[in-house]
Amino acid sequence: MNRYAIAFLLVAIGAGPAFAASAVNNDSEPRTLVVTEGSTKSDLVLSPGETVDFCPAGCFVTFPNGDRQALTGSETIEITGGQATIN
Amino acid sequence: MGGSKLIFSGKLSKFLFVFAIFFAFLAPVSHGFAQQNIIAEQRPIIDSLKKQTADLSGQMAKASTSDEELADLRLQMEGVTKKLLGVGLAFRPRLTEINARLEQLGPAPAQGQPAEPAIVTDERNRLTGEKAQINAMIGETEDSSVTVNQMIERIGEMRRELFTRTLSQRVDINYSLGSQVVGAAGYETQKLGRRISSWWRFVLSFKLKPFLAAAFFALAAALVLHFGARRFLGDLFLRDPTVEAPSYLSRLSAAFWSTLIPSAAVGVFLGTTYFFLDYFNVLRTDIAKMLSSLFSVIVIVYFIHRLAKAVLCSDMPNWRLVHIAPKPARVLTYLITTTALINGLDYFLNTVNQVLASPLSLTVAKSLLATVLVGLLIIAIAWVKPLEQEETGAVRPWPKALRVFLICLGLFPIVAALLGYIGLARFASQQIVVNGAFLVTMYLGFLTARAITAEQAFGSTSVGRAMQQRFGMDETSLDQLGLVAGILTNFVVLLIGVPLILLQLGFQWSELQTWFLRLMTGFQVGNFSISFTSIFTGLLLFVIGYFITRWFQNWLDGSVMARGRVDSGVRNSIRTVVGYLGLALAALVGISAAGINLSNLALVAGGLSLGIGFGLQNVVSNFVSGLILLVERPIKVGDWVEAGGVAGIVKKISVRATEVETFQRQSIIVPNSSLINDNVANWTHRNKLGRADIPIGAAYGSDPRKVHALLLDIGRSHPQVLKNPEPFVAFKGFGDSSLDFELRVFLSDISSIVLVENELRFLIVEKFAEEGIEIPFPQRDINLRVEQIEAIADAIAARKSQPKVGTGSGKGKVTAGAAKAGIAGIKI
Repeated sequence: MNRYAIAFLLVAIGAGPAFAASAVNNDSEPRTLVVTEGSTKSDLVLSPGETVDFCPAGCFVTFPNGDRQALTGSETIEITGGQATIN
Repeated sequence: MGGSKLIFSGKLSKFLFVFAIFFAFLAPVSHGFAQQNIIAEQRPIIDSLKKQTADLSGQMAKASTSDEELADLRLQMEGVTKKLLGVGLAFRPRLTEINARLEQLGPAPAQGQPAEPAIVTDERNRLTGEKAQINAMIGETEDSSVTVNQMIERIGEMRRELFTRTLSQRVDINYSLGSQVVGAAGYETQKLGRRISSWWRFVLSFKLKPFLAAAFFALAAALVLHFGARRFLGDLFLRDPTVEAPSYLSRLSAAFWSTLIPSAAVGVFLGTTYFFLDYFNVLRTDIAKMLSSLFSVIVIVYFIHRLAKAVLCSDMPNWRLVHIAPKPARVLTYLITTTALINGLDYFLNTVNQVLASPLSLTVAKSLLATVLVGLLIIAIAWVKPLEQEETGAVRPWPKALRVFLICLGLFPIVAALLGYIGLARFASQQIVVNGAFLVTMYLGFLTARAITAEQAFGSTSVGRAMQQRFGMDETSLDQLGLVAGILTNFVVLLIGVPLILLQLGFQWSELQTWFLRLMTGFQVGNFSISFTSIFTGLLLFVIGYFITRWFQNWLDGSVMARGRVDSGVRNSIRTVVGYLGLALAALVGISAAGINLSNLALVAGGLSLGIGFGLQNVVSNFVSGLILLVERPIKVGDWVEAGGVAGIVKKISVRATEVETFQRQSIIVPNSSLINDNVANWTHRNKLGRADIPIGAAYGSDPRKVHALLLDIGRSHPQVLKNPEPFVAFKGFGDSSLDFELRVFLSDISSIVLVENELRFLIVEKFAEEGIEIPFPQRDINLRVEQIEAIADAIAARKSQPKVGTGSGKGKVTAGAAKAGIAGIKI
């Protein structure tokens, strides 16, 4: 019985939350992302070292160095030196 | 034979392997080529999507009066946004490539630096140019996406406006037009007849074969459903009339399945019929519209009918779900079905009117009639006397509040319709019927959940019995599972029912999805962001951590330490410490996964720390003492200790206190701090060696050396007494009453000290008696004066002269002489 319970728990965890894209700022100064979600454009400010979840349902992002990307909501973004790397 | 087969398969697999590698190399090359042209590829796509957007915008302006068209446009726009996002995503691999390459090339040299080769500069410029182009295109896509999303929002607004307008629109009802309406009705009916017959002729002449094929498939589906449902699922909802008092759960289950399965069967049948007719292109657009609305009406009315029958169950009162007497139940079933039927007819005829473009007066008249009828039927339902007295069987009307509510509900569409607010009346009657059905079904679901959580109920269901067999669980755990099942059922009912109602009210599926996702993944309440998924994840991680800790503890204890033959006290300590560490780790992981920001708690904790500090002083002291006990181990489980005034065996060392069991089997819980701060006497700290001391006194006059030798013999003679260290007899001193000796013997197992001392004392008594050595009582020297002696002699003489009265009954006779001597009485 316990085996099944544990298996179920593990599956529930594994199926788990990749519900929103997350961005982490690895720089030592705040960076701003311009996020266009739906019909609104907003500024997302990341303080140094901060990780933020955003964009659960697809959006367009403009990075500090002018690069643009489209996100679906399951990516992890690292910002280093103004440049962004998407995993 | 086998050998050659092997060789063949070997060759084949080698060939395939080489082939695969070749392709693997080929693929990225072609991929690379595709990447180079991504800009050229996506350009036309972006242009076409922009054009689509413009088209949709134009259509939106034209369709401002039709809710259906607006909903359809919205779906199309959502498709466009998805495609736009896809275009943006398509650029990502190329961008990643460009960025990687630019990083490889490094930054452009600054002013004073040596120049780099031209090739590098060229490539960097080329790549930067391409990136700028791509960024521009993504920018275009982004702008288009924003436009489309704004259009979607606008559509939402338009639909809301339309909705309010429909509800608040007032039609001036001119009753004098009654005869005109009747005429129009006749005319429209003829029109409908002509349409249908023209379509039928068309089918007969040109599409006979496809129609027959569609009819055949539909019939086949019907037969399969009918017999399949009866055969495989029949016992789920067939009610046994012989059962006197079926349990609530079985009644509910029968009601649920007997509603769901036939309705689903009818739905599937009609759906497949429509699908096949559509697939074979037999339908004309107007016929298709009317047919689809007719089918949906049939399904809903049938569903409501079955629901009413299941709940009221007028023909098998043992199986009903509510206490409604059979005769009124039959009336109610009839009324409810008729209400649903009239509503459904109104909806269907509305579609027909739309298709035939009937005059407004006809539509208004029809809706007026339908809503007034529905209102009257609901009032009729309110007038039924359905409730049954349990004992007498007499019937009572509905409770007052419910009656009033039903009457108001029935009056509302009537009044609205008669006043001219036809849209409002139609909306109200439709919602009453459909939502009523949904709410009743959800209520049944909740009742089921409640019945499952009742005691012993889960165990008697088939699922419960299966689990009992498979996993061998007892009553209490089945009950707990029943509780969990009940809660899950509640969730499922809510999860299915609420979206259905919202969908029916006109919300879009994608809206519901976004709301639900936002609810689950996090929303702001003031300064806190609550996210159910992260809380759930945190809990789950904590539970997993707990189980892992338990498993690790058991494994460490059972496999590693048992094999290493580690001392049980050490094992206990390590096990407990590992447990605490694991739990703390699991809690930390769980809390951080739940996204709970501990810095907010720090402020509160700082304020409370003073009070907590004072209050928890002792507890923390005990806790730390417990840790020190575990590490330093002055006592371990199984030791015989004397601490804090209690003596006993240590049974358990916990974080706050230690359990000591006295020899009277009384458990004393000693706080750990007293074990650390005060002296603790541990008989079995290093080993079980201990010394038993037996003090014994020999009377003055005995030979001390003889006593000494005797005692030594006795000590040596006992089998459990150790020879090394030797038994020792100490001549302790000259006591008040006796010569004090002490026999000191060492025992290998101090826990048997009481038995050994007993036996030694027996031996001492026996040996002393043999040798004639007296163990004296406390001694007193009595000095008697002559007068006292004479008094005693007188008393004896007096006694001798008197006849014998009986033994020991001599009362103290105070003779004169005794009185002179100052003696109160002499007993002889």
